[in-house]
Parts: sequence; structure tokens; C-alpha cells
Amino acid sequence: MIGYVARRLMQLLPVLLTASALIFGMMYAVPGGPVGVLVGENATPEQIEKVTKEFGLDRPVLVQYADWLGRAMTGDLGHSLHSREPVAKLIGERLPATIQLALTATVIGLLLGVPLAVASALTQGSWFDRGLSGWSALALGVPTFWVGILLILLFAVQLRLLPAASGYVPFWDSPWQMLRNTILPASTLGLYVSGIFARFLRGSLIAELNADYVRTARSKGLVESAIVVRHVMRNALLPFVTIVGIMLAGFIGGAVVTEAVFTYPGMGRLVIQAIGSRDYPLIQGCILVILVGYMLINLAVDVLYVYIDPRIDYG
Amino acid sequence: MPDPVLTIRSLSVTFVGPGGIVPAVRGVDLEVHENEVVGIVGESGSGKSVTALAVAGLLPPSARVTGSIVLAGREVVGAPREALRLMRGQDIGVIFQDPTTTLNPLMPVGSQVVEGELAHGRLRVDEAWPRAVELLREVEIADPAGRAAQYPHQFSGGMRQRAVIAMAMAGRPKLIVADEPTTALDVTVQAQVLALLARRQAATGAAAILISHDLGLVAEVAHRVAVMYGGRIVETGSAHDIFKRPRHPYTAALLKSAPRIEAAEGRLDPIPGQPPTPTDLPAGCSFHPRCAIGAHRPRCRAEEPPFRSVAAHGVACHFAEEVAAPATIDAPAAARRPSVGQGEALLEVEGLKIHFPIKAGLLRRVIRTVRAVDGVSLRIAPGETLGLVGESGCGKTTTGRAIMGLIPVTGGSIRFRGRAIENAGRDVLREARREMQYVFQDPYSSLNPMLAVGDAVAEPLRIHGCYDEMGGARWIARLFEMVGLSPSVAHRQPREFSGGQKQRIGIARALALKPRLLILDEPVASLDVSIQAQIVNLLQDLQRELGLAYLFIAHDLSVVKHMSDRVAVMYLGRIVEQSDKATLYASPLHPYTQALLSAVPAPDPSGRRRRIVLAGEIPNPASPPSGCHFHPRCFRAGPRCAVEPPTFEPQPGSPTLRACHFAGPLEATRGAAGAAS
Amino acid sequence: MPLRRPARSDAWRCGGRLLSALGSAAEIGKRIVVRKTAALSLAYLVAVALAAAFATTVGFDPLSQNLARMLEGPSRDYLFGTDELGRDILARVVYGARTSLITAAGAVTLAASVGVPMGLVAGFFGGWRDAVLMRIVDLKLALPSILLALALIAVLGRSQVAALTAVGLTGVPTFARVARAQVLSLRRRDFVTAVEAFGASSPYLMFRTILPNSWSPILTQMVVLSSVAILLEASLAFLGVGIPPPTPSWGEMLRTGKEYLYESPTYAILPGLMLTLTILSFDTLGRALSAVLEGREDAPVRRGAGPA
Repeated sequence: MIGYVARRLMQLLPVLLTASALIFGMMYAVPGGPVGVLVGENATPEQIEKVTKEFGLDRPVLVQYADWLGRAMTGDLGHSLHSREPVAKLIGERLPATIQLALTATVIGLLLGVPLAVASALTQGSWFDRGLSGWSALALGVPTFWVGILLILLFAVQLRLLPAASGYVPFWDSPWQMLRNTILPASTLGLYVSGIFARFLRGSLIAELNADYVRTARSKGLVESAIVVRHVMRNALLPFVTIVGIMLAGFIGGAVVTEAVFTYPGMGRLVIQAIGSRDYPLIQGCILVILVGYMLINLAVDVLYVYIDPRIDYG
Repeated sequence: MPDPVLTIRSLSVTFVGPGGIVPAVRGVDLEVHENEVVGIVGESGSGKSVTALAVAGLLPPSARVTGSIVLAGREVVGAPREALRLMRGQDIGVIFQDPTTTLNPLMPVGSQVVEGELAHGRLRVDEAWPRAVELLREVEIADPAGRAAQYPHQFSGGMRQRAVIAMAMAGRPKLIVADEPTTALDVTVQAQVLALLARRQAATGAAAILISHDLGLVAEVAHRVAVMYGGRIVETGSAHDIFKRPRHPYTAALLKSAPRIEAAEGRLDPIPGQPPTPTDLPAGCSFHPRCAIGAHRPRCRAEEPPFRSVAAHGVACHFAEEVAAPATIDAPAAARRPSVGQGEALLEVEGLKIHFPIKAGLLRRVIRTVRAVDGVSLRIAPGETLGLVGESGCGKTTTGRAIMGLIPVTGGSIRFRGRAIENAGRDVLREARREMQYVFQDPYSSLNPMLAVGDAVAEPLRIHGCYDEMGGARWIARLFEMVGLSPSVAHRQPREFSGGQKQRIGIARALALKPRLLILDEPVASLDVSIQAQIVNLLQDLQRELGLAYLFIAHDLSVVKHMSDRVAVMYLGRIVEQSDKATLYASPLHPYTQALLSAVPAPDPSGRRRRIVLAGEIPNPASPPSGCHFHPRCFRAGPRCAVEPPTFEPQPGSPTLRACHFAGPLEATRGAAGAAS
Repeated sequence: MPLRRPARSDAWRCGGRLLSALGSAAEIGKRIVVRKTAALSLAYLVAVALAAAFATTVGFDPLSQNLARMLEGPSRDYLFGTDELGRDILARVVYGARTSLITAAGAVTLAASVGVPMGLVAGFFGGWRDAVLMRIVDLKLALPSILLALALIAVLGRSQVAALTAVGLTGVPTFARVARAQVLSLRRRDFVTAVEAFGASSPYLMFRTILPNSWSPILTQMVVLSSVAILLEASLAFLGVGIPPPTPSWGEMLRTGKEYLYESPTYAILPGLMLTLTILSFDTLGRALSAVLEGREDAPVRRGAGPA
């Protein structure tokens, strides 16, 4: 097993390296290069010289890259151009908020989507099924920021029940406050993701329901409910795990728009602010963390698969 | 005589769907008694599978069933779902065709085998596992305890089907329904599994229905046979009667059109046209358009014949008395073929090796090599047909594709008209391909769905830039005529044609460049029996007319016998025996050839032969046995065989070439035959 | 369904093929319109496209400001109210359709033109080309599209072309994957091997044999991706980095609408509704296409050596 994990990590390495090279190279794509980024457009030659020396920008690119990469691996992601604070610290402040939001949204998505999918698949073709399919299409298609706005309109403006702007309250500090702050953005995201889950799982379930081995189970005289639970559900849930992983991973940094709507202090908003103020070290650091997070979650899913799918041989 | 286990009266099944009404079964009467095997024979569209599903109560909700099915004293038609459910497992057990999809890939085999019994409460939880092991032992799976904990993907095809048999019989059902149980298996494995099924059925005294399109199979195993066509039973009788003295024109024609292994070679007698689809049934007797007797008789066109019983033999035909017995199988002699085998060899293959490396691990290192083809030599002269036979994994298809230049060659040489073409450059290959063409197995996937069939046939001409030079549209029209199709259909899309017609188009395409050699890869395996005969005849006619040479690759020994002048038998990448057709079929020398020939089911019930049933299954080509690849399954193997691979050389005093340390005729080793039966 | 062809020269052949293609298109069109939701979606999209195209002729004016009547709710003069500069919201929404549809069309075309050849080459040749191209695709997929688009805008600046390019590039991986999957599934099919056996070259196989047989998933993907493109463009606008003002855009209107949520609760409603309906319509149409096209390919009754 350790061997398998190690092998998978090794496979991720080239991707990470390429990614990091591209991220690092971003600075050079901007007019003015990294120097321009650091001192702005109307810089005096003395300023340029000073900055070049200070940041070692006269060294060969590869050396700079290796240096950056090396420091990144030890956790030093440079300093923000605007606040002068370490990038790692800024990210560290935002990451837990994002993770909390991501987990809550995924849970909501599962609670909504899975029963929907099961009911839909079992009553395939009926008006109930079609209604549910329509509902999941809606959940998928409505832009999250509109849903967010509507929710704010309803719960904050009209009903004045929940705050319009959500802050980060760790769950263990105060569950009630956490809920108050997180419920709206998490529901917005959760609604969207429930549509994806429902659609995918429904398709998966229907495919399994039509499989030959289900016919075999019926020919043995099993009760329909036993067939659904023991055969169909288990087989359909297997590929479903991958989707859950992908969605969860996508929320790290991908929930930008929802975070913007609710001004939630997560990674997404951090990245927007960074891009807006052209704070390249911060942008680089954020993107790197997001990519690493995505890959780690996918790796976790792969490892999980080894446990739950008997066909996989990791020897 | 005790009551039959199963009584079917006037069974009709109609499917109602958005496409319309499909009458799949139109009035079937049948009885099956204890200890009896009834075979249901039919081609596609005959309704045989639907009948089986109806008996088990497993039809989809869109099916409308009328009539009566009484199983073990209880009525199935219209029975509430719960009652049907309780019936299953105890009164009826079903064996489906494809063992790969019949088992749940994520559940251990042992659990699946006893699941039914547990669910019905006939097994206690603590008894379940031992029972599973015992059931697997009954179907002769080695190491049943270990195997029961494994998953289906760890079983081979034959083993999976054995497990399915165990599962179906776990509750000692009174009736077993087997729907094409061995079709998906190799010939030698088919023999094993069929023998096993027969033994289990005899041991439990169950009634059995065996459904198949394979006449020989049914003749071997069944006591009584029912022939289905167009949703009805057209003839029933004892196996002996049906095959010796058929009374329905369809049965007689089917027997005449099927290539037989004991038959003299020659033209087959195909049934014209193709089997009807349930939505498209002819008026009156559904067989009449194809019937030698009734095609022009007004009564057959107008009136569907009722089913009459004469002694134990029933038939539905207006003119049953006129049906001639097949009598001796004296097919019309083949016309003499001009100078076969004369002249310099068209194709010479020497020591061909094709190995595929299996790469794994981080650095993609080669951990094993699949020796798909491991030293094959053959020779084809102009105008002759070499048949290449073997089961799955033997490398025959790989050989054919390599000769065509589609697969890189690892070693050895291929010479076409004197020029070496193995791993050749594009230009050499291009030239060779003008004279050597390929016909594929599956007519459904060998034509480009986006091209009209005329364009598809013309495509090779366009690729070589010689469309006009060869005669343009007129040549295309001529090609269509040559394969028995009207040129006016050239503008249609492939999906508008039947399987047999598509295969003809594929042949026309292969002939477009006027090749000298055709490589045919299982060209008739996907077709109905009655259509197979048409295509086989066509191929023989074309060969005579155009002086073509054929490399005929197949696993069906009967068809190969009809087509070939010489035959080579392959096993696991090597040719084990090669000879002219007559010698090979009359006196095979290699144990594998002997087993293969004896495993072929033949619709001649008078000769229920002693079969040689081989032990084990075909090994994985990635890890073949040492020495002679065949030795673990060989009934004549000696200690030498595991160590020293035999050389491929002529048998003294015979035209045969073989690779065996103990080659020799079967009679000499009668005592050793029947190993692990 | 295919039509009679009178003669055999090349020109006639092309004409005949075109006609038969149109015939098939009509057949597909019919099967789609039978599904009510798909028909509605199609009707809606056509209506929006027409409205956007002929907006000026009809008299919608998105630019004229009337500062006396800012942030009003619906009234007889302004059906859906006015924005913070007194402009007609309805007119701006109609013009916004132009932005969305143009961006979607351009982005999808870009994504397909880059992604499909990538996928074809990767799938056809395998080996290192496949490994490299697919790693690039994986990389893009690891980064949420919105972030990638944001990063690209940061480099390209704000403009219609930049938006189109950024959104288009995020769609490349999808097309690459679809094309590659098609190649992999068709590559081993007999009809492709047959053409290879005649001596066809690799480009012939890829572009004249495999690609024409892949049109249905690619077309479906184009429709589905249109909905994604519209959402992405609107999201960028919502975040403030979309096409610069005064060009009306639904996302931009939602952004402003949110700021004025307390003053004018109805501001954001219409743009959001239009956005939602357009996205949903493309999505529904895409799914209907996929259902119809997939069913079509298996049209003939398939017979194996198996049960009837």
C-alpha cells in the first residue's frame, strides 16, 4: 500500500513541476516582467537596480525558479506585495474557512442529491422522475451568484434572519454562529452540487439496474429491495466516490463567485483580491496551494478505491 | 407417466413500446418432464429466448403475456410478483449466456452462489459458506474453498460459467433453463461445460430446457427438440427423429445448410433470404418466402399452418409429407477448381514471431511478454485456401493482421510474391496491399457508418488513386453484382442492410483492387446459420471465378472443412499440426487436433461419440507452460513434454506436419483418451 | 431517409451527400422537438438570438441615461425599472444577450478548434504525445475554470476578445477529452482498420475516417459548453473583470444589482432570470441532443451468435 501511494505521488510529481514552472513563469508573461511588477511602471533606474539586486532578479531564470521552488517546499511562499505579510500566513488564515465551507457544501449536496437520485432511478420514466430530473437540471443551471443574491434578498433583506455578509466562525468556536454564517453560502454551493450528484448518481444507478447481474439476482428470487441495496447501490456508489472527490476538490478556490457574493473570507476571494491588485507572489502561492490540494484529494480518492473496489490490484 | 414439470399452452408474448407492437412469441405449446432435456433451436428473431424468459417470469414490464405456463403445478402467467419470486431458485433455475456479466463483479463468488438460498430462508447463515464451497465442488472447480472467496474477475470464462451453473442449481430446482450457456466459450471449454451440465442434470433428475442456435449442441445433449421460427414452434420430436427425419421444410433446410464435419465437402445448400424480424413477419406461413416447397404455393402464402401431432412428432406445415429426408449427406460435388496450388507461392511466412511487451511500474519496465505468435510458418499458393484454426488466444487473428501489415512483427519473415513485407515501409506496403486484402468478422462494425455503401466499396480505389483506371462507377456496379447485390443499393447507408448483406459489401470492398489473396478473419462467425451457408458458397464461387487465394481464419472446424484445401491448427501461438484437409480431418495426429475435432458438436444423434474432454483451460499467453505449450492439458503427455518444445516437422509416411513428441492416430491411444471427463 | 441520387459524377456525389446530411439533420431535429423541454429551449434561444440581433431596429436603447429616474422599480415607461444611471434595464438586458451569445459562440469555436485536434492526436498516436497532451489537460482540469480565466484576464486585460479567449481556453480540456475518447473507441473498430488495411495515411484516418464519425459527441459538447461559457463570462463580469463598460452584460448588471440590493430589490431579478434561462436552455438542448444522437447510432437490430 505504501508502495502504491508512493508510486502515485511519483506520478503527480511531473504535473506539479510543470504547474509550478508555469506559475513561476507567469511573472514573466506580464509586461515589464517581475521587475515591473515589483516597482511599477514609472520606476527610476536606481529603483530598478535596487529591486533587481534585492530580489536576485539578475540571476539566471532557472536558478531563480529552483530557488523559489526550494523555498516553496519548505513553506516559504514569499511575501505579499501589498501587505508585506508572508503569503503562507495569509493563505493559512483563509484556508480553514474554505475547507469548512467546502465540507459543509458537500454534505448539503449529498443530503439533497443522493435521495433524489435514488428515488429518481427507482421510478424511472414516471412523472416523479421527470420532475426530479428537471429539478436537478435547475439546480445545476442556475448561476450560483444569482441564487446567492436571491437567498440574501430573502433571508437577509426581507426576513432579516441571517447576515448578508458571512464571516468565518470555526465550528468548534461556536456551532450556532458557524451555522448562521455558513448556511447561506453553503446552501448556494450545496444546491449546485446536489444537481451534479443527483444527475450522475441517477445515471449510474440506472445503468446498474439494467445490468445482467441484476437480472441474475432476480432469477434467484431475491426481493427487489435487497437487490437494490446489496447489488445496485454498492456498484453504483463506486464511481460516485470520484465525483464527490472532484467536487470537493473544486471548492478549494473554485467557489470564488459564491464567496464574492457573500464576502466570505475564503481562498477564492483571496485570489481575486490578489489578481485585482496584481500581487503576483500571492497569486502564485494561492494557485500552488489550490493545485496541491486538488491533487491530494484525488490521491485520497484513489487510495480509498483500493479499499473498496476488489478489482484493483495495487501490487 | 407422471405429470410434466413444465406445461406451456398457447403462449404468446407481445412487446408494446414506442416503436409499435412486436409479437415475439405467437402461440407456443411445450411440455418438459422430469429427467428430460428439451432443446429449443432457432435463429435470431425466432422467439426462443423470450420463451425462456417468460417461463422464468423475467420479462420486462413492456411484455404482454397470454396463454398458460404451468410450472410444478403453479400457473406463471399472470401470477403475482411475490408468487413468482418464491418460485425462483426452488422450482426454476436459470443459466444465462454471458458469464462475465451474469455475476456481480463486486461480490465474492461464493456469496453469490448461495445468495438465493439464503434469501429464501432455505439456508441458515452459518450453513451458507460451507454450502457455497460444496456447490462449487459439485461443479468441479478446483480448490473450492479458496475460490469461493474470490471475485469473478479472478475466474476464467469456463470457471465462471460453472459457478453460474452452481448458482442456478443451488436450490435443486425442478426445472433448469439454459439460454445459450456455452456460446460465449471456446470449443474445448464448451465441451467441458456442456458435459458438466448434463451430469448435474442427471444427478438431480431435473427437467431442463436448453436453448441454442447450434444444432449440433442440441443434438448431443437433448432428448427432445423443438424448432422455432418466426415466434412459433414449427416442429417437435425426439432428437433422433428431428435430425434423421425432419418433417418441416425449415428444419430440413437448416440441416442441409449447416456445414457438417463428417460431411463430404462441396457446395452448401443455403436457405435464401434471411430470418424475419418479429415486426416484419410474412403473411401466412412465416417461412414460406424462403421455403423450397411453399414459396409459390398460394396456401402457404395465405394460411398459417396449424400444429399437428403425429405420434411423438409434431409439425406445423401444410405439406409436411413432401419434405425429403436429408438421407445420406451427399452434397452436390464441388466443381473442379482449375490448377490449385500450382506455381510459385503467393505468400510465404517463415518463423513469424509477434511479441507484445507488458509494461508496468513507474518506469514502464517490461515485466512480461505476451508471445501472441511464437514461430509460425505457412505457405499459400495462388488459388488455394489455407484454413487457420484455433481457439481464442491462439494467435490466428494476430497472424492474419501481421500479414496484412497492421501489426509490427517481432521476428521472422513474411514474403508476398517474393517481396519481404514484414515491418515494411509505406510504399512497399502500399504496393502489397493492392494485391492482398482483408475481410472482417463483424459486419456491423466493418463499414463506416457515415459512408454510403457504394462509397465504402470505392474507398480503397480512391485511396490508391486508381478509381477511374479500374473502371469507376461501372466497376463498382460490377462488384455489387459479383457479391449478389443489386447495384441500385449503392447509395444506401450501411444501417439499412442486414448482417449477411453487410458482409457481402465487405467482400465487395475487399475485391475492389482485384487482389490475389484475401485474408478472411472469421467472416461468417457473426451470422445466422442459414446465412453462413450463403456467404460460404459466395466465397467459393468467387474463388473459382477470380482465381483468388484465401487465408481463412476461423474457430469453426466445420466451416473450415468446407472452405479449405489445406488446414493448419494453432495453439497458443504455434502451429501444432498442418496438412491437407482430407488427411487432417480423417486422421489427425496431434492430441490437440484430435480433442478439437471430437469436441465439435454434430447434429447426428446416431453417433453420440465418445468425446475427448480436455482438462483445464487455455493458458494465458503471457505465461505459457514450459516445453510444449499443450502438455498440461494433453492426455498423451510424457515427462519429456514439459521440458522440450517439440519441433514442427513432417510425420513419417504422411503429408502432415506436426509438433508433438507423441504424435499418432487416436486408436492407438484409446485407453488414454477421456482424461478428466 | 437517404434521397435518390441521379448520376455519379463527383459534383453530384457532393450534392447528394449534402442533401442526405440535411435529411439526417431534419430527422434529428424532429426527434428533438418531440421532447417538449427541448423544443421550449430551442424556441427560447431562437427568440433571444433574434431579439439580440434586431435590438436596435426594435428601438431598445441601453445607453441613454435619465438621472432623474434612477433605480426605479418596474413602471409603465420602464418595464423592468432603471439602473443606477437611469438606463432602461430591459434594454440593457436585451443587449446583454448579444454579449453573452457572442462570447459563447466565440469561446466554443476556439475551444473546439484547439481541443479537438489535440485530442485526436493524443488518442491516435498514443505514446509520449498522449502522455504530454493529457498531462496538460489534467493540469488545466486541476485548476477551477474561473481561476484560470481570471489569471488569463490578468495577463490579457479586459476586452471582448480577452473574455472570449479566456473562456475559450478553459474549454479546451473538455474537447480534448471528448475527441480522445472518440478516437480510442473508434480506433480499433473494424471499419477504421479496414481503411488502414487499404493503405490510408494517418491524417486520412484521423480526419476523414474517425472525425466524421465523431461529430455527434462533439456537437453535443459544443452545445453543453455554450452554457458553461455563458456562465463563466457572467461570473467574470460579476467579479468585475468582464467586458468593460458601457457594454451591457448580465454579469455586470448582477454585480451592480447586488450593491443596490436594499435600494432596488428588483434590479438583479431580470438579468439573473435571463441568464438562468439561457444557461438552462443550452443545457437542456445539449442533453436532448445527446439522448437523441446516442440512440441513433444503435439503430439496427443487432444480432449476435446469441439468443433471439
